[in-house]
Amino acid sequence: MKQFKLYVIATLIVMGLFSCKENLDPIEVTTEHFHTAIDKVVDVMIHDIFSPPVASRVFVYPNIAAYEILAQNDTAYFSLKNQIKHLGAIPSPNESKRVNYPLAALIAHIHLSKQLIFSEAKIETHRDSLYNVWEAKNPREFKESKAYGLEVAAYISDWMNKDNYAQTRTMPKFSVDSEDEGRWQPTPPSYMDGLEPHWNKIRSFVLESADQFKPAPPPKFSMNKNSDFYKELIEVYEISKEITKKGDTSEEIAIAQFWDCNPYVSVNRGHLMFAVKKITPGAHWIGITKIATKKGKADVNRTVFAYTKTSIAIADAFISCWDEKYRSNLVRPETLINTYFDDEWKPILQTPPFPEYSSGHSVVSGAASTVLTSIFGENFSFSDDTEVPFGLPIRSYKSFKHAADEAAISRMYGGIHYRTAVEVGVVQGRKVGELVTEKLTMFNN
Amino acid sequence: MSNRAIILCFSLLLLACNKKELLFKNPTSQETGLFFENTITPSDDLNILDYLYYYNGGGVALGDINNDGLVDIFLSANQEKNKLYINKGNLKFEDITTKSNVSGNSSWNTGAVMGDINGDGLLDIYVCAVVGVHGFYGYNELYINNGDETFTESAEQYKLDFDTYSSSAAFLDFDLDGDLDIYLLNHAIHTQESFGKADLRHKRNEQTGDRLLRNDGGTFTDVSESAGIFGGINGYGLGISIADFNQDGFPDIYIGNDFHEDDYYYINNRDGTFSDQLKDYFGHTSRFSMGNDVADINHDGLPDIISLDMLPEEEVVLKTSEGDDNIQIQKLRTKKYGYHYQFTRNMLYVNQQNSGYLETALLSGIAATDWSWSSLFADFNQDGEQDLFISNGISKRPNDLDFIKFISNEQIQKKIDNTKLVDQKALQMMPSGEAHNYIFKGVKNLEFEDKSGEWISNKKGVSGATALGDLDNDGDLDLVVSNINENVSLYINQTNEKANYLQLKFDYPSPNTFGIGTKVYSYTKGELQFKELYTVRGFQSSSEPTVHFGYGAIQQVDSITIVWPNKMCQTIRNIPVNQQLTIRPEKTKPFNYSTILKKETPIFKKVSNNLGLNFIHSEDNYTDFNRQKLIPYQNSDSGPAVAVGDLNNDGKDDIYFGGSKFNPAKVYLQKEGLYEEEKNQIFANDSINEDVVALIADFNNDTKNDLFIGTGGADFYSKMKPLLDTYFIQNNTSFTKEQLPDYFENASVIEAHDYDNDGDLDVFVGNDIVSNDFGAMPNSYILINNKGKFSILENQPFQNIGMITDAIWEDYDSDGFVDLILVGEWMTPKFFKNRKGNFVEENLINSKLTGLWQQIAPFDIDKDGDVDFLLGNWGKNSKFEASQEHPLRMYYSDFDENGSTETILCNFKNGAYYPLLGLDELASQIVSLRKKFTNYKSFAGKSINAIFEKSVLKKARIFEVNTLASGYLKNENNTYTFVPFKNELQVSPISSFLEYDFNANGVNEVLVAGNYFGVSPYHGRFDSFPGALIVNEDKIILGNKIGLNFSQKAVKKLNIIKVQNKSYVLATINNDSAQVYQLIK
Repeated sequence: MKQFKLYVIATLIVMGLFSCKENLDPIEVTTEHFHTAIDKVVDVMIHDIFSPPVASRVFVYPNIAAYEILAQNDTAYFSLKNQIKHLGAIPSPNESKRVNYPLAALIAHIHLSKQLIFSEAKIETHRDSLYNVWEAKNPREFKESKAYGLEVAAYISDWMNKDNYAQTRTMPKFSVDSEDEGRWQPTPPSYMDGLEPHWNKIRSFVLESADQFKPAPPPKFSMNKNSDFYKELIEVYEISKEITKKGDTSEEIAIAQFWDCNPYVSVNRGHLMFAVKKITPGAHWIGITKIATKKGKADVNRTVFAYTKTSIAIADAFISCWDEKYRSNLVRPETLINTYFDDEWKPILQTPPFPEYSSGHSVVSGAASTVLTSIFGENFSFSDDTEVPFGLPIRSYKSFKHAADEAAISRMYGGIHYRTAVEVGVVQGRKVGELVTEKLTMFNN
Repeated sequence: MSNRAIILCFSLLLLACNKKELLFKNPTSQETGLFFENTITPSDDLNILDYLYYYNGGGVALGDINNDGLVDIFLSANQEKNKLYINKGNLKFEDITTKSNVSGNSSWNTGAVMGDINGDGLLDIYVCAVVGVHGFYGYNELYINNGDETFTESAEQYKLDFDTYSSSAAFLDFDLDGDLDIYLLNHAIHTQESFGKADLRHKRNEQTGDRLLRNDGGTFTDVSESAGIFGGINGYGLGISIADFNQDGFPDIYIGNDFHEDDYYYINNRDGTFSDQLKDYFGHTSRFSMGNDVADINHDGLPDIISLDMLPEEEVVLKTSEGDDNIQIQKLRTKKYGYHYQFTRNMLYVNQQNSGYLETALLSGIAATDWSWSSLFADFNQDGEQDLFISNGISKRPNDLDFIKFISNEQIQKKIDNTKLVDQKALQMMPSGEAHNYIFKGVKNLEFEDKSGEWISNKKGVSGATALGDLDNDGDLDLVVSNINENVSLYINQTNEKANYLQLKFDYPSPNTFGIGTKVYSYTKGELQFKELYTVRGFQSSSEPTVHFGYGAIQQVDSITIVWPNKMCQTIRNIPVNQQLTIRPEKTKPFNYSTILKKETPIFKKVSNNLGLNFIHSEDNYTDFNRQKLIPYQNSDSGPAVAVGDLNNDGKDDIYFGGSKFNPAKVYLQKEGLYEEEKNQIFANDSINEDVVALIADFNNDTKNDLFIGTGGADFYSKMKPLLDTYFIQNNTSFTKEQLPDYFENASVIEAHDYDNDGDLDVFVGNDIVSNDFGAMPNSYILINNKGKFSILENQPFQNIGMITDAIWEDYDSDGFVDLILVGEWMTPKFFKNRKGNFVEENLINSKLTGLWQQIAPFDIDKDGDVDFLLGNWGKNSKFEASQEHPLRMYYSDFDENGSTETILCNFKNGAYYPLLGLDELASQIVSLRKKFTNYKSFAGKSINAIFEKSVLKKARIFEVNTLASGYLKNENNTYTFVPFKNELQVSPISSFLEYDFNANGVNEVLVAGNYFGVSPYHGRFDSFPGALIVNEDKIILGNKIGLNFSQKAVKKLNIIKVQNKSYVLATINNDSAQVYQLIK
């Protein structure tokens, strides 16, 4: 009875407010809005040159914020509170407010993204153009949804800021030791420092610990011709020679380049230097997620659900992989091939600046493909046009697994990984993906 | 005169005063008739994206080709035809290119030089070309002078028709056979993708390798290989200078190589071959070496060298340009790939003859002149000191960070795979690198004053090749400067009769008719000026074959000694100034260099067996900058500790050397005249400790020596055990470890003294930093001795007074109680009066004197009977800038509030404080700056106040340093005035003083040592201080002159050791072998 009374009063107030105006249409937020928001973040990350692990963090938090808002209003989805590390319940909206949940979710998403990247102006332009439209269309709904979206964003931001990211910024650089030949060394042409040596100290989401899926150690470094390590090194060298013989149009080169996903390929010509920038491995799989949601005709909630679950798997995959990279500290093929076989040899792809084992792209592809399979099913074929903006063709896959396997082997074709790193990497990634699907109850089907 | 008229006159006068006339005027092309522009227009087929040296420009050669007494001008341009201009007098020139047949046939010309190749007394012209790449055709062309203002191209006949990637060529008679040989400088064009091993230089490449061409009477023979000249694919040869660097009568060669290839320092072996001895004589070189030049800048008769690089002076350009390597890459490049240390700035190498050059560019004020091509020493104002002209600028700056990281991508991303990726839009986005040329006035004490804008116009442009000559025959030296896309500039010197000069030309027997290689020693009132005639100087150019001296107001030159290329000499006396002399060999006699070069009597001699001391200190791999990325210098390299004293009660000096992390300490016992390592000492058990200081003394008054060790290393932190100092008592047979109070600090100094006059030794322990928190104040203590047990003397004013580096006990007020004087970094020297056991700070220095003090030692330097104090500081040869008005600053705070602190160092520049580091470095620690400054342009030119919010800066503690010079506190009735040492002692931090009567003359001297490498590549390496002996205020002798060799060694400590009644100097060196010197007298 009391509730009814309140309701009446509230209704009266609302009617009073709007009595002189016509009743406004609700603001419609579509899946395209979310796709665009994510595309913008990808663009800015390319510009700002985010490394692959850091990029995975930029994807995941805005997605979680949006998902948590949508899950408030859709019984088909469960909140991630207490399912991922240290996330509590987000604030509930004030009942008197007219919250448009997809709108609030999108606003929270954009807001957190802006917080996570460097060049805010590009996100702001996009945001403001949307805000202007919404403001004009339904000021009250916009205002109240925005207030809620920002409230949740602030909550998520608080939680996010405790993930040790700030602390890892000032942790020691990776110490190069050029005496020990088996240890990773900076590689040409820029000889950059080892990226993110402390990424295993970032709070994980579903992983119990960074080393939960610690792979077996790589073959022991040895330049003895009968050693496993040496054989793998020679294999990389032989494959590269063979591919080069086949020429630029070979399938192997097409595969290597398609999955390059190196955010900063630097080119030096005398004093002239420039960078060729691309999306990261994480961003490529986020792109595949977009393709899958579109093909699967997912609605807003399912789209955000797919983005969120995939990005959680990707984020944990990087933590797992980077933990191993700076444990085994393995030298890249380029360093050894230049020293022992051919000082002019260059890999088909530029060697990225971190230790070799395990292959990051393999781990991430293994994790992302497993989660996507759990959502969209096995044998979900798709055409991958993610790399078209970078001048690369569309490639088709009969399943996510198919794509992941190709991504993994591409690193060998590219001359930047040994076989074990690739094979072990996919397995490591699938374990992360399986854990995510197993542990997280998100969709009530 | 009406009031108005007076005012008018006065105003006119003021106007006249205000409009200062430049020392050099620039007549226009209309006035001179010189219409020559090196026009280059980037095309889709050829631009800087394809050819890395697209903007290197052409050449300038000056000389009187028609023997009419006027200097003519030959100009080469990359894509334009060559031109030859005849000087008609009054600075009017006539183009006789067509008539003279020198317009050339190559499609890309570079350097142009003049020399008499065939010995007929006429200057011929050699024009270099790049051929065989990018469709460039042609060959190096040799124009033989026919004597009638026409020339015949004869390169093929002389076998000089090279079709390689040439940039310049220089004439020298390397085998002293009387004819001119040629060193042909070629440049690599292969893109630097990976370093490749330094040994690449041994694998000769026909196109890029330099060549030594021996003149075999009419044809030239390539003797490069047998003469030991490198010819690798990585030889980016841009700079060449010829001089007799070691003054042995045979010409040597300095080659400047761009990029990662080392410069070459070819010493003539006097048998037709050369040896590259760069690493022996140079601690480091410029990195992107461009032009270089040679002159004696300090009147010691030895040729000094400048090598140009591309460090910008202007704050905005500096912070938007790619800078030096980080320290790990430097390590990789030097240790793994075998290259030498190279840093991005100009270098000035001051010759020490048979030991390492002093490198003084920062101290001398000429380190940063932006994108620099040609350097020419000359006495432009004729005051007797060498001045310096530097040409500057590039049409497009390819190393602009915004271009590299943000702008280029959108244009280039799809087209990288081949060299045809030309994109005009991408080029347009590259910022212009137009810059003004620099001119510096040479002053005494190795210093130069920037006179750009005062002597020459500071109009911005793109200038390259430059040559010297007296174009208007008024005695002073003028300049011809080639420009890209602009007419050639003449800089006409207006010194004229304001100061005196002498010009010398030589008439030497054919074939070396101009006397290339002739040396001249000029003496006026005891001051020596020295010149050597080599015409190929600066960059891709040759200057008039003349030797020029300035004499200021002096009317008569006391003497001139000419040393001809054949090592014969003649002396002319009492020569009136202001004339042009042509000198030919007459009544010559053999020349003896020792008559010219001042020699000191050696005092020290390295002991060949090192007295059995085979101790090598090796630093562990710990790099402070990996953990604290913004600190100004490391601390982990403060070791090793060394202590001298009797450790086995046999009355002989033994030695304790501390270890570094995981390298155990070592003890050497003195046996019969030699030292032997004593293994298995208990001290070695503490091998994890990093021992920084040690002291051997009898602390428990049992007549047996004990050992006190101060540990540190910066690697250990918080309450980690290795930070605890250690103390060993000697028993009958061995040492046992004794308890010390628990204090966890990085030690820097231990000084023992019975300060409380109770009969035992008390100890002052000074500590310098707090690990992982540079800028925090450590605690330093006096430990009171009570029967061999130590306790802390509490509540003393020095406890956390600063980053202490050294201390001395000295009763400076002679009251019978020994006082304590402390020095440290980011602080002023502190005097603490001992009031019967309690200490009170006293202010005895008559100026504020904040420094990065390293050492203090008492010494009566002015011989007035009281004690002065020598102070070792950072030196003036660094990127730190400090003065009383504008001290160096260090801001210390947790800028990003993430729980760890940062330090930001700032220099004062044009009215504000700017961080020394760039956006990438600062953001590597303070990531929020990336959000605030999303590109380099927005960050560049911002002072610290604009980079951080007021509220953030308010929280920071600001440290200041107003004095970087080492020097001494001169005692005048117990107040102290700071007097800096001369600049030779300011090239490196000073780390040790040792007082002793080294030359056994009954009076003590002080031996000084230093050098330090623990800074980031942006700061370079302080490696060139050879040590010095301070005799008194006026007499300080550099170590290399008296038998020491401390160049390229970071000396930590000097000690006297006595072996069989003889005294030796022990020099303990960080990360190197200990050295023992005997005293000759």
